[in-house]
Amino acid sequence: MQKVRQDGIMLNHKEKRRYVAIMYDENGLYRPFQIHEKIVVRFRELFGIFQSELAMLKLYDSEFGNIMIVGCKLKYLDYFLVSLILTQPALTAVSLSGTLKKLRKNVSRLGVRNIKNNPS
Amino acid sequence: MSKLLGLDMIGVSSDYSTSMIPQEDVILRMDKKYPIADYFSYLIVSDNIRSLDGKTDLFLIDPFQRKDAIKRKVKRGLGIEISIASARKLEAVMAGRWLKEVKSIYEFCQSNHCQFILSSGATSVNEMISARSFESILNVVGISPRIYWKEISEWLYAKSKARWDHVKS
Repeated sequence: MQKVRQDGIMLNHKEKRRYVAIMYDENGLYRPFQIHEKIVVRFRELFGIFQSELAMLKLYDSEFGNIMIVGCKLKYLDYFLVSLILTQPALTAVSLSGTLKKLRKNVSRLGVRNIKNNPS
Repeated sequence: MSKLLGLDMIGVSSDYSTSMIPQEDVILRMDKKYPIADYFSYLIVSDNIRSLDGKTDLFLIDPFQRKDAIKRKVKRGLGIEISIASARKLEAVMAGRWLKEVKSIYEFCQSNHCQFILSSGATSVNEMISARSFESILNVVGISPRIYWKEISEWLYAKSKARWDHVKS
């Protein structure tokens, strides 16, 4: 869809986002908002403040026990995942989707709560 | 768990246990061949340059160590592994340098006909890393994930094929 402006054509374009379900240690010291903060700090350290702001990393409620959801712009997904795996405490990206609704559906199918009892 | 992470196979450190049930998606990592290796796929892993010999399949490298010594000892087809677990604890500057070293070890492997392997180094479920996350690291350091997965599959296939040939003869 295009909007015609006096100074030319402006694309009515919304940048794509990706939502990542992240498994964290429920018995660990950190709560999801603290883990999110740690990921953002690592992102800034590795790729810079400007890129971090552009990536728009946002925390969402997952509705599952040891799973948190973070959204970021698709363009910065690789940077985000690198920051995630180089963050202490250790975190695991278990699912990824373009919408929150689909991601929550995927996570509910995984039965993540059973993982700790079934390591293989 | 391997399905959840999008991985066809995972390496599990062998604790000499014989109570494990053989599974297709598990490769045992061991420092020498134990009887359990008769039932599982396995790789002989070493992290000590002095113990590196013809039987070693995989050498766990510290990305910051000098490559001169390794260059003298490596043979064609040896897997050179970098563990991500140690990089989590690094400070910002060193973490950035670690990413640079990953690329330099990949180039070292290419020029010495070795197999570059990136591993999680996980000791618990929470430390495991998904296939998509591995691909992000590869993309960021400038390695094609498609080529990486292809090469590692061929290398694993060649390792298991060589063992079957040995058993038959």
